[in-house]
Amino acid sequence: MQRLTTSKWLRTLFYIILIVVLVFQTYPMFWVLMSSFKTKQDMAYIAPYAFPSSFYLGNYVTALFESDLIRYFLNSVVVAVGTLVGIVILSAPAAYAISKIRFKQSEKLLSFFLLGMMIPIFACLVPMFQIYNAVGLRNTYLSLILPQIGFSLPMAIYLYTGFMKFVPNSLLEAATIDGANSFQMFSKIMFPMAKNSTITIIIYNFVNIWNEFTYANTFMTKGIMKTLPVGLNDFVGEMGRRDWGGTFAAIVLAILPTLIIYFFLNKNVMEGMAAGAVKD
Amino acid sequence: MRPRNKWEPWLFSAPALIVYVCIVLVPVVWSIVYSVFDWNGISAMKFVGLQNYSRMFGDEVFVTSFFNNLFFMAVGTIYQVFTGLIMAIILTNITKGNNILRVIYFIPCIISSMAICKIFEKLLSVEPQGVLAAIMEGMGMEPIALLSEPKWALLVVTLVDGYKFCGLYMVIFYSAFMAISNDVVEAAYIDGCTWGQQYRYIKLPMIKNIFFVVLVIVINGTLKSFDVSYILTNGGPGSASELVATYTYKTAFSSTQFGYGSALSVFLLVESLVAVGIIRIFQQRAAKRD
Repeated sequence: MQRLTTSKWLRTLFYIILIVVLVFQTYPMFWVLMSSFKTKQDMAYIAPYAFPSSFYLGNYVTALFESDLIRYFLNSVVVAVGTLVGIVILSAPAAYAISKIRFKQSEKLLSFFLLGMMIPIFACLVPMFQIYNAVGLRNTYLSLILPQIGFSLPMAIYLYTGFMKFVPNSLLEAATIDGANSFQMFSKIMFPMAKNSTITIIIYNFVNIWNEFTYANTFMTKGIMKTLPVGLNDFVGEMGRRDWGGTFAAIVLAILPTLIIYFFLNKNVMEGMAAGAVKD
Repeated sequence: MRPRNKWEPWLFSAPALIVYVCIVLVPVVWSIVYSVFDWNGISAMKFVGLQNYSRMFGDEVFVTSFFNNLFFMAVGTIYQVFTGLIMAIILTNITKGNNILRVIYFIPCIISSMAICKIFEKLLSVEPQGVLAAIMEGMGMEPIALLSEPKWALLVVTLVDGYKFCGLYMVIFYSAFMAISNDVVEAAYIDGCTWGQQYRYIKLPMIKNIFFVVLVIVINGTLKSFDVSYILTNGGPGSASELVATYTYKTAFSSTQFGYGSALSVFLLVESLVAVGIIRIFQQRAAKRD
């Protein structure tokens, strides 16, 4: 391949910028990790940007066993799994109907779903709070799972229809001749074929659900029902003043699961999040 | 495919449709209804017509939060789009290490705003001393608590939000550049096009549509932005870093003015629809000119 090459000084400039940005993007994370190994003496006597004097794990013990961090983590897992399952089992069949079954209102139905992408969650929060309060959903997992399913459906349906409409009809017609009913056609042919869309949808939504703050802060007021982001806030608020070491360890533990997943799936995560954002 | 019977498409789409209508649309309509009432959640609802809307214009905190939000949108958009674009251009021009750098630059995007805010809160803290304060002291300056300084709070909130999201635009621009066919670049090379001209006349115009997509995402996102301002400064000090969404939230849930809070949330809805509409008009004009 022929490419327009850059001059030597431009290339040097590029690498300088890249390194500056690299430091900028990673330093906060690196600093927290480093500080999480500092003992109380380190905290008090050595400069905040200096390295810890030893590889001290006491802060992690504090963060794990003197708080509800593990419970918050489990809450986050339950909410994430529940929401993701809900999104996929609701959006995939709807997209199948819109893209593959011929009926008069299919285009209108898609536009109707897409309308939801324009609605800010704040426009729904007050009535949601009233409704969930009245039916006793507050402080249950459902109060986080339901709204996140609802607001993720438009994007998921959009991504699924984008894929499904290009699946050739002849494939489905062949299945009809073999005697498949429409439910089998969806579950045995269409859904497995849309595997990549499913992965994109799951990854994009997982990152958002895992980091979600507003609903969790509004609907989960009981301590043990909190998810990781809100729980972290409580933890830092409570420990932040007297125990910075524990706070840093808690922050590291809170971001570790996403980082581990990202370590293995970074390409999928980047593409999934970009695809989720660029939905037009 | 032809449906077996007229119920078939609805059998597949009804579950999603019901959930979507009940969870998203019913509350929106409900909000609009609330917005013409005066109601604190306990006493009887009192119909006040459009008073909640006219009240906004006299509400100093709301006006402040609106202008803060414009600043947040403008600076945030420039910062995020500019950084994302520059990084994408540089990364498409280097051969060594471009994958690993892209993966690392993207990390802040996948971390919760809660964790990011807590980290910056500690980095910028003065008592106990964070890194910034230590550096300032080392340079013989008086450490400034940026987050409790009305002059700085909004800018810091804007930059932290931009810090979290700029990686996303880098990835979007990067894939747009990679999608440009090599033939085009080769043809330009043969015609003696320089490196700068290649971007000025070929690559940037070719990804014009992506620009509009990115603008929609950034502007839509910054107008509704909530997390960073709410967590990092709680809108403060005073209302120095208050945004429309944080003020709406506090009005509804901290001062339990559900009627007025709903009116503010309807404003937020209309505001983002108008903003996206304006960008779309520009996009159509740009498309016509070609």
